[in-house]
Amino acid sequence: MEILLLQAALLFYLLSTAAFMLPLLSSRVFPRALAPTLLFAAFVSHVGAIAARSLAAGYIAVIDSYEALSFFACLTAGVCLLAQVRSPVAILGAVVSPLGFVLTLGAFVFYTHARDLPPILHSAWLPVHVTLAFLGNAVFGVAFSASLVYLVQEKQLKRKKGRVPFRRLPSLETLDNLNYRVLAWGFALLTLGILSGAVWAEYVWGHFWIWEPRPVLSLVTWVLYALLLHYRSAGWRGRRAATLTIVCFAVLVGSFLSVKLLFPGRHGGEFG
Amino acid sequence: MANRGADLLIVGLNHRSAPVAVRELLAFSNGTLEAALRRLVDAETVREGAILSTCNRVEVVACVTDLNAAGEKIKTFLAEEQQLDRDFFEKYLYTYTGKDAVSHLFRVAASLDSLVVGEPQILGQVKAAYTTSATLGTLGMVLHRCFHKTFAVAKRVRSETGVAAKAVSVSSAAVDLARSIFDRLEDKTALIVGAGEMGEQAVRHLQSNGIGTVLVANRTLHRAVELARQCNGTVVPFEQLHKHVHLADVVIGSAGGNSHVIGLAIVEEALHERKRRPMFFIDLGVPRNFDPRLNDLENVFLYDIDDLEKVVEDNKDERGRAAMKAEVIVAEEVESVCQWLADMAATPTIVALREKAEEIRKREVEKTLASLTDLSPHTQKAIEALSTAITNKLLHPPIAYLKSTSRNSDMQAGFDAATVRQIFGLSDENE
Repeated sequence: MEILLLQAALLFYLLSTAAFMLPLLSSRVFPRALAPTLLFAAFVSHVGAIAARSLAAGYIAVIDSYEALSFFACLTAGVCLLAQVRSPVAILGAVVSPLGFVLTLGAFVFYTHARDLPPILHSAWLPVHVTLAFLGNAVFGVAFSASLVYLVQEKQLKRKKGRVPFRRLPSLETLDNLNYRVLAWGFALLTLGILSGAVWAEYVWGHFWIWEPRPVLSLVTWVLYALLLHYRSAGWRGRRAATLTIVCFAVLVGSFLSVKLLFPGRHGGEFG
Repeated sequence: MANRGADLLIVGLNHRSAPVAVRELLAFSNGTLEAALRRLVDAETVREGAILSTCNRVEVVACVTDLNAAGEKIKTFLAEEQQLDRDFFEKYLYTYTGKDAVSHLFRVAASLDSLVVGEPQILGQVKAAYTTSATLGTLGMVLHRCFHKTFAVAKRVRSETGVAAKAVSVSSAAVDLARSIFDRLEDKTALIVGAGEMGEQAVRHLQSNGIGTVLVANRTLHRAVELARQCNGTVVPFEQLHKHVHLADVVIGSAGGNSHVIGLAIVEEALHERKRRPMFFIDLGVPRNFDPRLNDLENVFLYDIDDLEKVVEDNKDERGRAAMKAEVIVAEEVESVCQWLADMAATPTIVALREKAEEIRKREVEKTLASLTDLSPHTQKAIEALSTAITNKLLHPPIAYLKSTSRNSDMQAGFDAATVRQIFGLSDENE
């Protein structure tokens, strides 16, 4: 059931990617709701897949690489859909859909069968910590998408030409405001994620802080985002802010993957 | 020979075929249209009719039995109604029949035949023409069907091609661009520098799109005051312009003179003042009012008159491409309506043919059976079956032919139906 739902999600990510891209590349008019609906379908099946695994395993299934990637993709799609409720930014799906597709595909590569929960993770802190941390990541993913779309739109306006269909992108101000709002949310979530991790670490390891790749890189990411927010509140906006948002997200994803693949430690590798 | 089936006929003129001096004389005013329609439609030549009368066109759409007679009748009708000499306007008229008439009606409603292709009013005008004649009862099955299809086609063209989506004037292009930069215009301020006509137009366009505040600066004060009064704006002293630039989100330049009214330094300071919120400069002046290097500043977007003309050109190209797609849609839909019209023409003929054959068969069988009294029921049945088989076999080719020509969806089908009627001596369906 889990695999089936995950495959469905993968398919829907692919379809919604196509549905978001086509109107940008051709001047044909497509039904407006089509692409967001496909992304929503991807999100729903993805939630289903994660729920199925978590129910079968008896704990929130976000402990190994497969589960982490899958969770990340799912939350990003969810936050993107949420952002559309208040702003006319459905087009962010054009970035989030392929992102969801690649992450979910990556999840398949690392696929493992659910195991018993390692004793050390038996804690109410597990769902709190992972949900906060990954929700923060997902929100940053949406900020990244908004920045990417911002740069495309800005470049078109500066160059004064550009393919006509591309002019249907949201306004710069809409994207910039969204970026700012979303960054603030992401930063709050990331901070809470790190704090909850610290409290939990104190319980199980006896220290608030361990000098290991995952927490250290998380701290680096946190500092970067703190700087970005600082500059934003000092009046940075537009292209500069968008570029830095993209850099920050690249560091976030890079550190996420490198911990998984290169520096497994007590946290973030195989807890076993 | 006359077409015995229903045929479509449009007689009219538009902005391309006739000058306004002719169009205005032929146009129907609201009050006269109903009475005229009643006089147009009769039981004989013009069976159904509607009149579309706008400032760009006057068209009589009719379902007729005899194209030539109806054409004459409509022209005379126009002359009598508007009290004009036929020779005066006849050379400006065009006539479409059958498939071409359907196609023309579709193109008009889809705004492909408009002065500004894609303008949205025409569909409403066609709908009004339909409603008027429908309430008067001058529409029958054919025109009802045609108009309904017309509205569906217009809707399809609109949603599938985006033929009307793009700005095609400099002012509207400027507003479009402002919308690409700003979330909403209601809380934004426009500053107009100079009182040139282009600038004034641009400001009006921004205002009708909801821009919040307008500031006006001009070298001669009284002109500034006048413009400010017209567009409900505030005057800014020209000498202190640089102190007010930071207030503006949109700056429109349409001042005369040779030096740049607003240079880099002023804008850099303004940006600092307004915390780098984006600014949109629209330079409509020749020579240019703003330093072209403004566009290199972060969060500043500068469009001069050439840039805007270029946007308009691109949009026009886009409209042209959309219009081509729309033509394809129209062609497809014309096929489907003509198919229906052809079926309409063919079906009664087939029924009449079958009825006549059955009538002959029955009569002949009864005659035969009456003279042969000593037949067994079995033999009687055999004779019935024989007669039925013969008539069916004989009728099969003409019926198949009628069905196939109607499937070719040609107005020719009506003509064919009439031929078959003559050959078989069938009565005229319309009598």
